[in-house]
Amino acid sequence: MNELTLPLRNLAGQPIRTFLTTLGIAVAIAGYVALTGLTQGVQQNFAGGIGDQGGDLMVSERNSFSIISSSVPEELGPSLKAVPGVADVSGTLINIASADNNANIVISGWPDGSFLWQGVKLASGRLPQPSDEWPVVLGSTIANGLQKKVGDTVELQFQDFTVVGIADFDSVLNQNIALVPLKKLQGLLGREDSVTLFQVRLDRPLDPQKVAVAKEDLQKAAPGNQVSDSEEFGNSIRFFSLIRAIASTVSLVVMAMAALAIANTLLMAVTERTFEIGILASLGWRPVRILRLILVEGLIMSVVGGIIGLGLGILAMDVVSKAGVAAGLMEPYLTSGIIVEAILAALLAGPIGALYPAWRATRLVPAEALRRT
Amino acid sequence: MGPLIELVHVRREFDGGRIVAVADVSLSVEHGESVAIIGPSGSGKSTVLNLLCGLDQPSGGEVRFEGKAVHGPRAWAEVRADHIGFVFQNFCLIPTLTAKENVEVAMLGRIAGAAKRAERAVSLLTSLGLGERLHLKPMKLSGGERQRVAIARALANEPRLIVADEPTGALDRKSAHAIMDILTGLQRDTRTALVIVTHDREVADTCGRKIEMVDGRIVNGPATGIVHAVAGGAR
Repeated sequence: MNELTLPLRNLAGQPIRTFLTTLGIAVAIAGYVALTGLTQGVQQNFAGGIGDQGGDLMVSERNSFSIISSSVPEELGPSLKAVPGVADVSGTLINIASADNNANIVISGWPDGSFLWQGVKLASGRLPQPSDEWPVVLGSTIANGLQKKVGDTVELQFQDFTVVGIADFDSVLNQNIALVPLKKLQGLLGREDSVTLFQVRLDRPLDPQKVAVAKEDLQKAAPGNQVSDSEEFGNSIRFFSLIRAIASTVSLVVMAMAALAIANTLLMAVTERTFEIGILASLGWRPVRILRLILVEGLIMSVVGGIIGLGLGILAMDVVSKAGVAAGLMEPYLTSGIIVEAILAALLAGPIGALYPAWRATRLVPAEALRRT
Repeated sequence: MGPLIELVHVRREFDGGRIVAVADVSLSVEHGESVAIIGPSGSGKSTVLNLLCGLDQPSGGEVRFEGKAVHGPRAWAEVRADHIGFVFQNFCLIPTLTAKENVEVAMLGRIAGAAKRAERAVSLLTSLGLGERLHLKPMKLSGGERQRVAIARALANEPRLIVADEPTGALDRKSAHAIMDILTGLQRDTRTALVIVTHDREVADTCGRKIEMVDGRIVNGPATGIVHAVAGGAR
């Protein structure tokens, strides 16, 4: 027998209650992992996806609420291109719409002849030609999802487009993207003469000092806008900050509920086991040792719940990110930081929930406790 | 050597003083002696026993262990863990633990090493005839067997005092005799002091000193072992 035998037997003695409480913690942790992972995944997906399209820096509207609400005048292009160290610039217009009323899709409009088209690795078909009326290149994942091949028609933004090519990309965003000519998309959205952002390609070879200088010069050339790399761009979008804040709040509430579930379970356990606690006190167990016994019971439930919750959270992220409404927009994103935070949250929820019941247990007068058989 | 444990003008009231369970009781127990506290139900004998080992706190007066006043749950926990073993009428075994574990639980934090604790528990239970019942939980044991587990647990930390509250109250005659033989044998062989609360005159007769209580007061019998020794010699 060791220090863990008694708390483990106590928990095993009430299997249903222990299971339900542990499950409550697991669901709370799963919620935390899934919410945090998916919200960070959305940001990473967008920032990483845009970064993968071929630009080194982005010029976008400062403090834009969301990616699609950013608006930069198209006429800014030539002055950006004139900045020393800049090899090329390309306006990009981004919107999210449904494809064939079936799946959500990111539509990106690129100008004819943009350097961005050069980075498109075609799996089949070709790139749009100026002579095409409504051409679109689909990412291979969304093309498979919509069961489209070259020559088929797909409805985007209430307009039928003809699939002229299917492309392979590395990022989830781009695998689910629809690439169309910029002018066509501007016309459909009524945003002639404006783009969401400019992708800036710098001269090769790249070195951090040159990038920093070019960034500063670009900033001077585009006052009122922000110049950033893809990660900074993701962090600057206030919509992502908002959903992160919502996710954190929901997670906090769920964790508090888990701690309350533990408190309720252990309070019942302490009430039911008053006699047993009286026995331990009569054997000379000091109050702090009795306190520790109850805390350990809370800790065991929270550790087990935390581990199960971590697994459930990863599973939930996977399922949600593949669901029709989220496919292509969300990507499971699990970092060591999220894992550590989830484990810490679980480790804290157990003892915090157990604290009051444990304190109650230490306040029992042994003689009174022993009368409650 | 002074008394092992003493109650000095101890009083215990309940319900804001409306119920006086123990009224100004002084009592001392010497090292190695056996004392029976007898009296009718509600006479305060169990309350005295609880006060004697810190399971309850007095409303007035003080309790001394080896001449030093003991105050507070933490100090009493130390005294009980190191020096006092308990045997109760209803056995007070933890139902989720086996016989062996019920003995080991008393040694947690007192004897280092799980193997050492297990060895001592097995040795104690075997010496009390429970060598074949080590891994059974209390529900699978008879009343006499449960009480022997409780005695083994009481002896786990080699106490100087064993307190027993109606130790034969829940047992048949044969088991009761066997339990009393064990307890008095221990007191005699190891010079462990024994205080028994009982309403059974036959059980009380096995002790060296008898104290009778009525309405929260000692009405008969010497309150100190020294008086007892002068009056009739220690058992």
